[in-house]
Amino acid sequence: MNVWMQQHPATLLGLVIWAFGILWLMPSRRPGQIRSQRIGISIAAAGLLLFCGSFGKSTSDLASEVMFWVFAAGALGCGVLMITSRNPVYGALWFALSTLSTCGLFMVQSAPFLAAATIIVYAGAVIVTFLFVIMLAQQSGAAGYDQRSQQAIPATVAAFVLLGALSMTLQSAPPQFVRVEIQAPVVQEQQAGTMMTLDPNKPVNPPEPDAIPNYLSRADYKTPVGSLKGLGRSLFGDYLFAVELAGTLLLVASIGAIAIAPRREEGAL
Amino acid sequence: MTPTPITPDEIRVLLVAAGLFILGGIGFITRRNLILLVLSAELMLHGVSLTLVTFGKIHQNNEGQAFTIFVLTVAACEAGLALSLVLSLYRKSHSLDIRLWSELRESDVAPPDQGESLPAEIAKSAYDGIPKLTPAGVAPMGSAGRS
Repeated sequence: MNVWMQQHPATLLGLVIWAFGILWLMPSRRPGQIRSQRIGISIAAAGLLLFCGSFGKSTSDLASEVMFWVFAAGALGCGVLMITSRNPVYGALWFALSTLSTCGLFMVQSAPFLAAATIIVYAGAVIVTFLFVIMLAQQSGAAGYDQRSQQAIPATVAAFVLLGALSMTLQSAPPQFVRVEIQAPVVQEQQAGTMMTLDPNKPVNPPEPDAIPNYLSRADYKTPVGSLKGLGRSLFGDYLFAVELAGTLLLVASIGAIAIAPRREEGAL
Repeated sequence: MTPTPITPDEIRVLLVAAGLFILGGIGFITRRNLILLVLSAELMLHGVSLTLVTFGKIHQNNEGQAFTIFVLTVAACEAGLALSLVLSLYRKSHSLDIRLWSELRESDVAPPDQGESLPAEIAKSAYDGIPKLTPAGVAPMGSAGRS
C-alpha cells in the first residue's frame, strides 16, 4: 500500500480532490446556504482530470485514444452532475448523457451491438418513462427534498475508499491472464498442402468441443469478439437456456408491473 | 502460454467502470428522490456492464457480452417494476421523498436523522397492507424457536 502511494501520488490526490468536489456539489443540508456550483464543478473536474491522468501510458493509436478520453470524461463527468443535480429532470438528462458515453466506451471495447441495445433500452425506454413520471409528480417544480442530501459525507468517503482500493489493486497487482492468440490458420493450409491424406472438406484442426468450456462463445479469426455472428452463436448456443429464462423473467416482470401499478378506479395520481 | 498482466489500456477502462459504479453508489445513498435512486442503481449497472465487456475482450470470447445482455434484460425488468412501485407509493404520499417511508424500517432501528427539515407526515393508513422489514439477527415472530 505504501509503495502504491509513493508510485501513484496523483491517483490518490485526484481521488481526494474529486471526492471533495462531489461533496461541494451535493445539495446542501442547510436551506439558506447555497454553494457556488461553478467552484464545485471546477474542483470535481480537476480531481477527475488528475485521477484520469494517472492511468499510465497507453499503446493504442490516436483515434481510439481520443475516443476513449472523450467518452470516459463524458461518462464520469455526467455521472457526477447527475448525482448532484438539484432538479430531478436535469438528473435524468445527465443520466442519459452518461449512458450515451458508456455506449461509446462499449464501442471502443468492440461491443457495437451492446452499444446499440443499451441506447435503445435506456435512452429510448427508461429515460422517457422516468421523465414522464417526474413531470407527472413534480408539476410545481423542484421539491424541497431534492435540495437536501442525506449522509453525504459518510457515503462519499466510503465510496471513494472503495475506488481507491480498486485502483490500488489494479495498478499495483494487475490480474494475470493467459492471452488467447487469434490468427488466421495459415499454418494449417500449409499442412494441408503437404499432408494429402486429410479430407479437404474437414477443418484441419477442429477444436474439441469437450475440451473447452463454452466453446461456442470463443472468438475465432472469422468472427472476432463482439461481432454479431459470434454474439448470436454464444447467446443461442451456449446460453440458449438462459435466454429462455430471461424471456420468462421479462414476462413475469411485466405482469408484476401491471399488477402493482395503480388502477384507474383507485383514483388518479 | 504464460500469464501476462493486463495492459494499462485495459486497466483504465476498468477504472472508469469502477468510477461509474461508485458514483451510482453515492447517488443511491445520498439522494432522497425515488426516481433518482433508481437511476443511480442503473448507473451502477453501467459500471458492471463495462467491466464485463472489458474482461470479455481480454479473454477474447463473447461470454462477457452475452452476460451483459442478461444484465440489460434484468435492468429493463427492474426499471419497469420500479416505475410501478414508485407510482403506487406516489399515489399514497403525493411525494417522491423516500424519507416519508422510513416507517418501513426494521422496528429495532432508530429513525433516520431528520436534520433541520422535518418532512411532511403521511397518514398512518398509507402503511396499511405494506409489510415491515423483519428485524435482522433475531428470530422472526411466530417462528418455532420462539417460546
